[in-house]
Amino acid sequence: MANSNLPRRIIKETQRLLSEPAPGISASPSEENMRYFNVMVLGPSQSPYEGGVFKLELFLPEEYPMAPPKLGRICLDILKDKWSPALQIRTVLLSIQALLSAPNPDDPLSENVAKHWKSNEVEAVETAKEWTRLYATGA
Amino acid sequence: MESDDDNLEFYDNSDYEEEEHDYGSDSDTGNYSSVSDEDESNVNHYEVAASKLLYYYKWNVSQLHDQWFADEHKVRDEVCLPSAVVPFSTTEESIKCGICFDVLPREEFYPVVCGHPYCKTCWRGYITTSINDGPGCLSLRCPEPSCRVAVCRDLIDDLGTEVEREKYHRYYLRAYVEESRKIKWCPMPGCENAVELELGNNTFDVTCLCFGSFCWNCGEDAHRPVNCETVSKWVLKNSSEAENTKWILANSKPCPMCKRNIEKNKGCMHMVCSPPCKYQFCWLCLGDWKKHSKETGGFYACNIYRDKKEKGLLDEEESIREMARSSLNKYAHYYERWTANQKSREKAIEDFKALDTGILVNLRNKTNETEGQLKFIAEAWEQIIECRRVLKWTYAYGYYLPEDEHVKKQLFEYLQGQAEAQLEKLHNCTEKELKSFLEKDDEDFRNIRAKLVGLTAVTQSYFTKLVAYFETQKL
Repeated sequence: MANSNLPRRIIKETQRLLSEPAPGISASPSEENMRYFNVMVLGPSQSPYEGGVFKLELFLPEEYPMAPPKLGRICLDILKDKWSPALQIRTVLLSIQALLSAPNPDDPLSENVAKHWKSNEVEAVETAKEWTRLYATGA
Repeated sequence: MESDDDNLEFYDNSDYEEEEHDYGSDSDTGNYSSVSDEDESNVNHYEVAASKLLYYYKWNVSQLHDQWFADEHKVRDEVCLPSAVVPFSTTEESIKCGICFDVLPREEFYPVVCGHPYCKTCWRGYITTSINDGPGCLSLRCPEPSCRVAVCRDLIDDLGTEVEREKYHRYYLRAYVEESRKIKWCPMPGCENAVELELGNNTFDVTCLCFGSFCWNCGEDAHRPVNCETVSKWVLKNSSEAENTKWILANSKPCPMCKRNIEKNKGCMHMVCSPPCKYQFCWLCLGDWKKHSKETGGFYACNIYRDKKEKGLLDEEESIREMARSSLNKYAHYYERWTANQKSREKAIEDFKALDTGILVNLRNKTNETEGQLKFIAEAWEQIIECRRVLKWTYAYGYYLPEDEHVKKQLFEYLQGQAEAQLEKLHNCTEKELKSFLEKDDEDFRNIRAKLVGLTAVTQSYFTKLVAYFETQKL
């Protein structure tokens, strides 16, 4: 089974994530596969995402930590060419949280949203708040 | 090219030793030398750092010289090549690795100038991943995100596997060749050589040790006296799908019923389209076959077409077809001769390469001539190979010669014809007469030698003049 020869580094990272979680972030490994994490990131305060809970799935590939964790389609340099084995799951999740505080419309996943953000930020922020309320509050 | 001359000359005069010396003369590198007392090891450190610097400066030695002596610290900062060695932050016997998080004895750690503690196993994993990722490994840095210290060749030499070291050094070589404006990879398939251009030679044609010759400028096969522009047009034309389209247009017609293209390669004008269409029609007028009878001039002599043609009423499509057919014929004429010379040249190269193990051995046995005395045979082949190349390109040139420049065209065709005849004579003599000499007993080798040497000289002078004429007359 994949869990039987889990590198010590992954075990240590997991232990620390569980015992001293970073503020606003929770990451717990799945029971079937210790390389698979269910992640929750709280929307940072004073951002349009405040009050929202954002769920992510994180997977540590066989090459980890030489290769970065896999995390959906997030445009983040440290998940690509700027990855270094000295980074950790914790640092990656903190970067994602920071991205929620300061979105980067120059490197977007959705072209339309980025256009909206750049042309009318006030309105875009309102939309973000609205969507956070609709889709990320579990209501 | 000319504007680079200064640069390139400088590059020529410089060498590695100079670099090492420059590095060593710096008063501030005390820390580097303290790494080891042995001179040999010092030289190695300088060499490693010098190769990193050269990589970052794209082997532009003069620029590196200037900037290094103007502000060494700035250069070191830019390249992230610190002069001071930082020891590991702890003096304990056991250190925690920043990658695997294992606590291991000190000697398991690889000392790097920035002092970030990673065990050898993790360093190995780090460089393996990076080397397998491609040439980006040449600008590898310390894994610590806040540290940008360059990972140098010595680390790869110390920790990499043999395959990795080889790969890393090949990337270095590749970077060196690709950054240099004076050196290029030979574009011949399967050839791994790099070719260095000798300056001051007024030609862009270069020949690799593999016998491939190519144009320095455009990378195509060497094509003197034809210019790069014509060659690129011709090569594009040869590969272009447009020729297929033209062929379909010239040699096929769409079925008047189902519109599929039909090629008529022989037979009468009575066409039956293939199932499921099965429509029967006349190839000439594309009319319904049932309407063909004595009134139309008989079933097998459709005068509808002829009538139209005589009256000049051929529809537009038909005239396009007519034009396409004649232009296709023209292209076919030149292309055929272009490839024929190309193939002939390839064959000549094969024959040339087989000389030493084939005919030359037999000739030496029969005539007792020395290797040097038989050199004229190789020279004849070399001449043939070069002339086939020139002749080949004259056909691309001829294709683009404007139709209405009759005098130019006539002169060109005359010169080309002469050149061709001359080359055929030489090729024939080199190929056949030497063979027949070996088979017969009554021939004097001196006659053959005289003939072949003469032919080679005449052909060479003819082609040299031809090339010069092409280039000066802008024919």
